[in-house]
Amino acid sequence: MKKPFRYALALAAAGALTLTACSDPGAGTDDAGPVDWPAQDADLSGTTLTIWAAQNSNTVPDSVIAGFEDLTGAEVEVVTIPDPYEQGVQTKVATGDMPDLAFWQPTASQLTALNASQNLQPLDDAPWLDAYKPELRDITGVLDDTRYATLITTPAVEGVYYNKEVFAANGITETPTDWDSFLQTARDLKGAGVTPFHEMAADRWGTQWWVQVQLADAAADGLWDRVNTREELFTDPTIQGAIDTYQGLIEEGLFNEDIKTATFEDQGAALLAGDAAMAVQVNSFFGQLQSLADTEELNEKIGFFPISPSGNVGTFIPDQSNALVAFKTGDADQESAARQLLSYWMGDGYEDFVNAQSTVSLQTDVETPATVPEALLSVSDSLGTSVGSMQASAIANPDLYIYLADMIQGTKTPAEVAEATQSQFDELAKAQGAEGF
Amino acid sequence: MLPKGAARPRQKDHPLWFLVPALVVLVVFFFVPTLFNFVYAFTDWSSFKSAINFAGIDNFTSLFTNGTLLNSLKVTLVYAVLVALFQNAFGLGLALLLERDTRVNRAVRVAFFIPVIMSALAVGYIFQALLKPDGALNGILGALTGADVSIPWLGNTTWTIVVVAIVHAWKWMGLSMLIYLAGLKTINEDVLEAARLDGANRWTMFRSIRFPLLAPAVTFNVATALLGSMNGFDIVQATTEGGPGGTTELLNIFIFRTFGQGLFAQATTMSLVLFLLVTILAFPVIRYLRKREDVL
Repeated sequence: MKKPFRYALALAAAGALTLTACSDPGAGTDDAGPVDWPAQDADLSGTTLTIWAAQNSNTVPDSVIAGFEDLTGAEVEVVTIPDPYEQGVQTKVATGDMPDLAFWQPTASQLTALNASQNLQPLDDAPWLDAYKPELRDITGVLDDTRYATLITTPAVEGVYYNKEVFAANGITETPTDWDSFLQTARDLKGAGVTPFHEMAADRWGTQWWVQVQLADAAADGLWDRVNTREELFTDPTIQGAIDTYQGLIEEGLFNEDIKTATFEDQGAALLAGDAAMAVQVNSFFGQLQSLADTEELNEKIGFFPISPSGNVGTFIPDQSNALVAFKTGDADQESAARQLLSYWMGDGYEDFVNAQSTVSLQTDVETPATVPEALLSVSDSLGTSVGSMQASAIANPDLYIYLADMIQGTKTPAEVAEATQSQFDELAKAQGAEGF
Repeated sequence: MLPKGAARPRQKDHPLWFLVPALVVLVVFFFVPTLFNFVYAFTDWSSFKSAINFAGIDNFTSLFTNGTLLNSLKVTLVYAVLVALFQNAFGLGLALLLERDTRVNRAVRVAFFIPVIMSALAVGYIFQALLKPDGALNGILGALTGADVSIPWLGNTTWTIVVVAIVHAWKWMGLSMLIYLAGLKTINEDVLEAARLDGANRWTMFRSIRFPLLAPAVTFNVATALLGSMNGFDIVQATTEGGPGGTTELLNIFIFRTFGQGLFAQATTMSLVLFLLVTILAFPVIRYLRKREDVL
């Protein structure tokens, strides 16, 4: 009885080993890029397109889909991938599962993470590119000189959201114009008994904005290019200095007392109620505020200004809800239909889209609806002069925010934050086969 | 078809090929993944490129030179020991309280067993809401003491791991209770009566007779709680996500994070390390616990 059993086991083991010798099933087709861009209204009866979206972006395409289905007879299905969205999509793609289109962060690091050159359709000669406002056309979505992602809404900008009423009550009429005046404003507010800054270390992810806005000048000067080739490290004075400054400001008492336990929700409520005067945040924070108050109240209370060491330069960070990628599924008809949907989205469907979403238009000929709150207009105004964030410009996106949250909790020193970030960056860059790692 | 040399009478009615369906399931869903786990740990598999190349022990050296893995291993061990302690203490306590077969006890046993069949993530999210600084627990404490209580139960770098271990133990204590109850039922009434006639009080009875006789139940409960919680993920992910400050970052949470970064081979290496750790720990623990059963 025992012998055949052993034999079967050995067979199974051998079989498993043979299987292992295969390559990554996520490998896509490697043929040449698309040559034709079908007309927006070409007939697509019988075609079903799949779009992957996250929980916070799965209703974004509604108006576009309705219009496209009427126009072409195609069926478009939105599949929600549960959070954490990026990890879910990456895992599915790595195991060979692909949609026709997906919402995706159009940054170098995230396009690399999807293995863009293998898995994504190049969009270099897309018909809608000239419709973009010139300063936004090439801001993101490009990896190794090939365009893989289509920006559909304004990317988020890291900057300062402030409570206008708190500023006015304390006699502050002008928003700060550089880092020194920004800190001076904060210290004046603290002197007047107001909590200047709010941070949400319990939810962790917002912690990195403070470091990144301090790097805006360096980023304009090619910081991330140097980091990408390991010429400059997170532990070198520029980035380490920004981390040290952040820790110093926390120790100085410029932040909310419950910084360790405060959450994203707490931050929105605190700024709206005037319990804190400012928060360094991104667009999704404004989304949180919109769930707490209407546009009129927000226009009255909340303002936005970008900040950098030497002035008012913003740091942009596109996220998954801002852009779409089209996959190389290997089926020429499906791939062409996916391109057609993008053409419609950024073409005839774009006006409906910005109105339905009440969002800022990226195109010269499409007007931004009047319902967009003022703070969001300030955000999009700052976009033209803003510089890329770590996520937008570095080849890898290490968990800097987790290490910074650890620092706030007291389990890491600022030096350890930089070391941990660099060592994770090294691992990621090495896995990508980047030079110098 | 079958080897005839080893034929025994039993083999007539239990032919070996009856094993095939079960074996297929076992091989496909257990042996192959486990083997892959070993193989991929020595490659550079990632989401960044299509080719998978042999990388030697590269993943192991870079993981062990990085302090995060050792920290996660330490956290995992502490967590497992705490869960084993609490889960068995709660389970044994409940079993002793609900030992008699009354109608009320039966109903209460069911109530305590319900968390076992609940989704671990649901349990985690419920406790996350209860334990928030402005959550229900602090509300109750505030009402009792008359003061404003805002203890961050999940925000303390020293004690949160204990809190999370208690949540884990709470979820699984019903199972331990059930096994201890079964153990208590197997104790011979004559032994207990003899002890009673000798004048032993309740505590002596428990310490010298009932607890030693529960040894097999203790073996099962401690081993499953200890080794099972080393594979813990869901409850901690739902309550703290490994925070605050990485003090509850179990190895599985670290693996999840690494996998999410696209470093598939490294995540595989870590899960291999976890597998080896559990195996290495399982043998001495089970051996020691089995030795205790020698009194039987």
